[in-house]
Amino acid sequence: MIESKVVAMLLAGGQGSRLKTLTKKIAKPAVPFGGKYRIIDFALSNAANSGIDDIGILTQYKPYLLNSHIGIGSSWDYDRNMGGLRILPPFTSEDGGRWYTGTANAVYENIDFLDEMNPEYVLILSGDHIYKMDYSQLLVAHKEKGADVSIAVMEVPWEDASRFGIVNVNQENKIVEFEEKPDNPKNNMASMGIYMFNWKELREYLIKDDENPDSDNDFGKNVLPMMLEEGKKMYAWVFDGYWKDVGTVKSYWEANMDLLDPLNTLDLYDKNWRIYTRTRNLPPQYLARGSAVKNALVNEGCYIRGTLRNSILFSDVIIEEEAEVIDSVVHSDCVIEKGAKVYRAVISEGMNVKAGEVIGQKDSEKIYLVSEEGISVE
Amino acid sequence: MEKCLGIISGANIENNFGALCVHRPVYMLPFAGRYRLIDFSLSNMVNYGIRTVAVYTGEKVRSTMDHVEDGKAWDLNRRFNGLFLFPPVSHGLSAKRTGEIPQYYTTKDFFEQTKEKYVFINHPNILAKVNLTEAFRFFRESDADITFIYKKQQDPFGEYVNTNKMNIGDDGMVLNIGTNLGTEREFNMYLKMGFLKKEVFMKLVKEAIERGESDNLLETILMNKHKYKINSYEFKGHVENIRNLKSFYDANLNLLKKNIARELFYSNGTIFTKTKDEPSTLYTEDSIVQNSLVANGCVIEGTVENSIIFRGVKIKKGAIVKNSIIMQKSEIHENAAVINSIMDKQGIVGEDVRIAGSMLMPFIVEKKQEIRKD
Repeated sequence: MIESKVVAMLLAGGQGSRLKTLTKKIAKPAVPFGGKYRIIDFALSNAANSGIDDIGILTQYKPYLLNSHIGIGSSWDYDRNMGGLRILPPFTSEDGGRWYTGTANAVYENIDFLDEMNPEYVLILSGDHIYKMDYSQLLVAHKEKGADVSIAVMEVPWEDASRFGIVNVNQENKIVEFEEKPDNPKNNMASMGIYMFNWKELREYLIKDDENPDSDNDFGKNVLPMMLEEGKKMYAWVFDGYWKDVGTVKSYWEANMDLLDPLNTLDLYDKNWRIYTRTRNLPPQYLARGSAVKNALVNEGCYIRGTLRNSILFSDVIIEEEAEVIDSVVHSDCVIEKGAKVYRAVISEGMNVKAGEVIGQKDSEKIYLVSEEGISVE
Repeated sequence: MEKCLGIISGANIENNFGALCVHRPVYMLPFAGRYRLIDFSLSNMVNYGIRTVAVYTGEKVRSTMDHVEDGKAWDLNRRFNGLFLFPPVSHGLSAKRTGEIPQYYTTKDFFEQTKEKYVFINHPNILAKVNLTEAFRFFRESDADITFIYKKQQDPFGEYVNTNKMNIGDDGMVLNIGTNLGTEREFNMYLKMGFLKKEVFMKLVKEAIERGESDNLLETILMNKHKYKINSYEFKGHVENIRNLKSFYDANLNLLKKNIARELFYSNGTIFTKTKDEPSTLYTEDSIVQNSLVANGCVIEGTVENSIIFRGVKIKKGAIVKNSIIMQKSEIHENAAVINSIMDKQGIVGEDVRIAGSMLMPFIVEKKQEIRKD
């Protein structure tokens, strides 16, 4: 991406309230995922791997952990003299303080930042999704089509289509219509919330959108439909790969479990597209005599004496003897004490499952979320 | 501890390690699944607040530079102080002398310009999590010119022959340091680490250059021992003195003992190393892993017992690994067996191949070596 300057704006202020206690203290992009990552690592690593030099991170909801996780961006090589990463929280001005009211508003409030960067293109990303994407391919397509806006879309199962923003296109993939969560979708092409804009155009429409008092200041709901209505050239760019929006505790659990499937398409071991994260520098994991670990992802610092099946352990988890962890996701610094049983659970960071305690049910459809607040079932 | 410079003396004898040290100095040997030996020395100094560290790299400097970089992993990439890498140079001296003392001498500007008044010298091949705050306090309060650190080492089987033996007077003063011949069940093993006043250090180095009698700092100190107050500080924790292949192999396998692993990995701060961004390790349905230390980024489909598995290793179905050290990115293919062996980085043991050494003399698979059945 040397020829043309792209600035990415990563929306990381979401609460993710349907993740319940997982987002009690942290924003959704900071939720741990896949044994050693946080959700935002995927978008950040994609940006770094795609050769994007400048990125702004828009934070709002409970940002402390997110801020300390990102730091100055060194894990993603964004600690640079020229360009790099900036965290962009809401701020006060002469007119008082304002929170970001929507996705478009968050970018609108940072027009000064973007003016200073003066990019040709602005790439809007969400920090909520798990996927690997080469954004430079999106830019190539955007330029080839001579588009004003390019939107990454993907095919979703027809039965799920009504949960997404659906994009209707003509034969050249030119967008002719948006439908926000339609009851009877005409199409199963869902917008992924990833947009490549020409900055000049975007700037104009952000101001227009801000002047409209009835707008929710949302890209999907307001800005994009307005641009389409006014005849801007918008193209869909079809993405074919693993993508997950972990909206609920159950889909969070499922997305984690996907990683245990040997045929999963989110290949974390691909050395050409690594997912980077802030690491804790812990010693290797230890599996004791008598332990049984099958079909599991285990991270550094874990100490296992018991049984672990179909599960994902984050760092520094201790599983004592005769304890059993099956079909579960266990976050960092948890202890599963002697003889305890954990089935189909998501255990939050730092929890102790007491000796002999039983959590969850083996043959159930439900998922049990364990946190300081107790156990919630979904 | 900010008053103290840290010095890592990387000069060492590499021919005790066979193929493992053809391309790397001993202190760069991969250790404990994800570290290099030097990480322990660097991390311990940093964890006790030493902020300026000089590393005398020895000649095989490339792997050192690749690993240590600018010291970032240890927070030593400072604008003020931080890490100084000193590869060997021979300028400024009439005769070509590349030993320890000439290397210190050629960096005399470094010692003159830094404001620290004391130096802590250590050898990265000896792993010991010495409480440097306490040791330094002892050194300062006893007003010694030099404090050497030792451990009372049990040695009923003579395993520590040829290590440094320290003879200590009743008053705790160091009488001399020689070579252990295994004549005692317990002896005072000199850990090749100690504190010196910087002025004393500089004086010793300059005098040694002028006199030309020795290029070795310890020898030089002992030749001048009557001029200085040299006392001793006992370290009571666990020590790994890595001096040959056997001790390297044993030190790795010792980490399977909980108390040793706890002390080396966790006591007084963790060990830092260059991160590799490997994902977690995946154990498949067929994996059986017992009493083993496994780093991240591995895919384990076979059987592993009493072994140390480094980052990014692949062990395929039906393969068996026992009492072995498998270094980074090595692969052990279907139904192969690797017993009592050390596999250097990126080695491959092919399908159905069986290799085995003994626990006294482990079999070595060299870096990038492929062993296949023809």
